[in-house]
Amino acid sequence: MQQLKTGTPGIPRLFNTNWLVQLIIVLILAVMPLIAGRPTLNLLVLIFCMSVYAMSYDILLGYTGIVSFGHALFFGIGAYGVAIYIAQTKATMGYLLLAILVSLIISTILSFFIGFLSLRIKNTYYAMITLAFAQVGVILAEKARHLTNGYDGMTFRIPSVLMNKTLFYYAALAFLITAFIFLWRFTNSPTGRVLAAIRENEQRATFLGFNVLRYKIISTIVAGITACLAGSFYAIHMRFVSTSVLTVSKTVDALLATVIGGVGSLYGAILGTTIINFAGEYLSKLAKVSVIFERWYIIFGLLYILIVLFAPHGVLGLLCKIKNKLFSAIKSK
Amino acid sequence: MDIFVNLTVAGLATGMMYYLLASGLSLVYGLMGVLNFAHGTVFMYGCYAGVFVFNHTGSFAAGLAAALSAGAAVGWIMEKVVISRVYGNHISQILLTTGLMLVLNELIKIPFGSNILPAFQPEALQGSWVIGGSIVIVKYRVFLIVLGLIVAVTMNMVIARTKLGMTVRAGVQNPDMVQALGINIKRVFNLVFVIGSALAALGGALMAPALGAVNPEIGLMYQMTGFMVVVIGGMGSFIGTAFSAALVGLASSYTAYLYPDASTAVIVIVMIIVLLVKPSGLFGKGVE
Amino acid sequence: MMLLDVKKMQTYIGQYHILQGISLEVPEGYVTVLIGRNGAGKTTTLRSIMGLNPPTKGSIEFNGEMIHGLPTYTIARKGMAFVPEDQGIFSQLTVDENFRIAMLKEDKETMDRKYWLLDIFPDLKVKLKIKAGSLSGGQKQMLSIARALVNNNKVLLIDEPSKGLAPIIVEKLAAAIKQIKDHTTIVLVEQNFWLASAVGERYYIIDDGQTVHQGAMEELIKDKGLQKHYLGIGVKE
Repeated sequence: MQQLKTGTPGIPRLFNTNWLVQLIIVLILAVMPLIAGRPTLNLLVLIFCMSVYAMSYDILLGYTGIVSFGHALFFGIGAYGVAIYIAQTKATMGYLLLAILVSLIISTILSFFIGFLSLRIKNTYYAMITLAFAQVGVILAEKARHLTNGYDGMTFRIPSVLMNKTLFYYAALAFLITAFIFLWRFTNSPTGRVLAAIRENEQRATFLGFNVLRYKIISTIVAGITACLAGSFYAIHMRFVSTSVLTVSKTVDALLATVIGGVGSLYGAILGTTIINFAGEYLSKLAKVSVIFERWYIIFGLLYILIVLFAPHGVLGLLCKIKNKLFSAIKSK
Repeated sequence: MDIFVNLTVAGLATGMMYYLLASGLSLVYGLMGVLNFAHGTVFMYGCYAGVFVFNHTGSFAAGLAAALSAGAAVGWIMEKVVISRVYGNHISQILLTTGLMLVLNELIKIPFGSNILPAFQPEALQGSWVIGGSIVIVKYRVFLIVLGLIVAVTMNMVIARTKLGMTVRAGVQNPDMVQALGINIKRVFNLVFVIGSALAALGGALMAPALGAVNPEIGLMYQMTGFMVVVIGGMGSFIGTAFSAALVGLASSYTAYLYPDASTAVIVIVMIIVLLVKPSGLFGKGVE
Repeated sequence: MMLLDVKKMQTYIGQYHILQGISLEVPEGYVTVLIGRNGAGKTTTLRSIMGLNPPTKGSIEFNGEMIHGLPTYTIARKGMAFVPEDQGIFSQLTVDENFRIAMLKEDKETMDRKYWLLDIFPDLKVKLKIKAGSLSGGQKQMLSIARALVNNNKVLLIDEPSKGLAPIIVEKLAAAIKQIKDHTTIVLVEQNFWLASAVGERYYIIDDGQTVHQGAMEELIKDKGLQKHYLGIGVKE
C-alpha cells in the first residue's frame, strides 16, 4: 500500500510539566476567590467540571483509541440523576450523595452494556451506535415530563451547605485535582498501558494474549463514571438541567476540547476546555456587538480540522514544540 | 385498512429516501473505508438547495438539479481538501468528517439562520388519489417511490455493467491491485465520494416537501438513521441496504402513527437486536 | 540492453529496514529469477519496483526512465505488470471482467492478445463468465498471469506463483511460462527451486534484504554448495 500520511492521535512524548509549574497554577487558582469577581469564578467552576468531562473523553479517544458520540449520555445521567432525585426527595447532602451513587451504578451498567454490544465490531461503528443510544436518552428525557420537565428543563434546590459559592469553588477545584490524579494513575497503571497498546496496534495486543474487549470495556466504564461525576457537579453548579446535557452537542464539546487541547494527554483535555470556554465567552460577547461573530462556533470547527490534519498533538503539542525550540536555541548559544 | 395502506406508502417513500442516503454511505465505506459523518449534512444541504431554488424559480426540477450539483460540489471539496489526506487512518477520518459536519452545519446557518424553512410540494404532485372511497394515496409519496426506484435501479446497473462499476467492485476488494493494473484509484475514490454525496443531496431535496419544513438539525438525524439502515442491512451489501431501508422506513411510519417520537427508539432497538444476533448485518458478508 | 536497472535500492516498511541494498539488472527478453529464503525481502523488492512500497534510497530505471517515486498506476501504465503473491484476483468479478478491468485499451490488438492468452490457458476460456472466486488455485494463478499480459507489457513481475499449488500444476505453470517468455521479459520470485531452474535464465540471490549473488541459471544449478548456503539445507531438485 502506498505510504499515505497519517496524523495519529496518541500520547505525546515528554510533556515536561514541572511540578513547580503545576503547584503555581493550583495556588493561583486557590486564591482566585479573593481577587476575581463572581462571573470569572463561575466560569472557572464550569471549566473545572467540563475539564473532568473532557479528561474522561480523552480516556476513550486518546488513550484507548475509541471514538464515542454518546459520551454525553453518562454526563446527562449524572446531571439528571442528581436533579431528579433531589427534586423528588429533599435537598440534603445525604440524598445528594445517594443520587450520585445511583447515577454511578446506572452509568457503569450502561457503559458495560453498550460497550459489550458495539465494541465487538469495528471501532468505527461504536461512534454511531453510541450516538443512537444518546439520542434515545434525549427522547426519554423529553418524554418523561413529570420527572424532567422535558425540553424546557428543570430547576432544583441544592443542599444549603453547597450554596456557599466560595466553598463550592474549592469543592470543584478539589474535584478536578482528585479526578486528575485518579485518571493519571489509571493511565499509568498496567491496565492503562494495555489500553495504550490497544490504541497503537489492536491486533498485536490480541496476539499478545490480551482480551481486548475486556480492556476496552474497562476503559468505557472508567470514562463513563468519570463523565457521570462531572455531570453531577455540573448540575449542582447550574442548578438547572435540560435535555441539552444529553445531546450530541455536549459530546462534541468534549471532543473539541480534547482534540484542540491535545489528544492523549490529560493536561491537553484541561487546556482545551479552558481555551474553548474562555474563547467562547469572549466570542459570544463580541457576537452581541458585531454580527460578523455570530457564527463563531465555525472557528472552533475549523481550528479542530486544522489540528487533526496538521497538529495532531493539539495546542499542547504545539506549545511543547515551541518550548523545545526555544530551549535548544538557548542552549546552542 | 385504509390507514394501513397510507402508512405503508408513506413508509416505502421514506424508505426510498433512506436508501438514497444510505447507499452513498455504504458505497463510500465499502470502497474507501471512510465512515463519512458529514453524509447527513450533505443530505440537509440538498434539502436547502432544493427548497431554495424551487421557491425562487418555481421549477421543482431545477431544485433537484441544484441539489445534485450542491451535493456533488460539497462532496468534491470534502474529499479533495480533507479526506484524501487521511486514507487508511480510521480515527482521523471519523474526527475529520465530524469536524466537517460541524463546520458545514454552522455554515448553512449564515444564509438561512437556524429557524425552519418551509418546503412546499410542486403543484403537479400535490394532493392524493382516493381509491375505493376510503383508501387515500398521497401523490407525492408515490412520486418518491418511483423516482427512488429509478435512481436505485440505475445505480445498480452502473455498478454491475459499466467499467466504472467494475472498477469500484474490484477496488472494494483490493485497491492495491487496481492500482497495479494502471488505474488511478484515487480518482475513482473521489468520483465515488462525489456520486455518494450527490445522491444524498438528491434524497434531501426529494424528502424536504414530504417533511414540510427543513432545519439544520435534520442533518444529524438523517445521518444517524442512514447509518442504522446500513448497520441493519449489512455494510457493503446493496440488497441489504435496500431491504433494511424499506424496513426502517416502514417501521418508523407505523410507529409514528402509534407512538409518535418513538420511531428512533424502535429503530435503535431493531439495530440492537441485529447487533446481538448477527453483527455483520442481515445481509452482511461475514465479519468485518 | 537493461530493460530494468535497479541500483542500491533501500526500502522501509514502517520502521523496519526491509531492503538494505538491492541492485538488479534485468535484460530484455530473459527470465530473471530472484531466489532466497523466507523473509529475505524478495516480495518487497517487487513491490518496491512497482511503487507499492516506495524505496527511500536508490534508483529504479525502467526502459530509460527513472520510475522510483512515481505512483503505482503510472508505473503500471508504462508497461510494468505485477502478479502478486496472493494472485490479486477479484473474486467477485467474472474471469472476463478480470480481463476487462486490466485492459487499458479495448482495441483490436488487445482483444487479439486476450484470445491468444485464452488459447495458452484453455481452462480460463471455459470459465469466462464465471466468478473468478470459484476457480481453483492453479487456475487463479493462470488468470493472474494472463491478465498481466493482456496489455503489451514489457515486464512481468511475478511473485511466487507456485505457492500452494500441487506439483503437477506447477509443471503446467512452468510450461505456460515457457510459452509466454518469448513475448515479454519476466522477473520471477520463487522459492521453489525446481520451477526457478526450469524457466530461469539469470538469477539473483537475495539474502537479508540485499542482493548477494548473481549469474547464469545453469551455473547455479551446478553449484550445490551455493544452493545450500543461501537457499537452505537440503534443497530438493
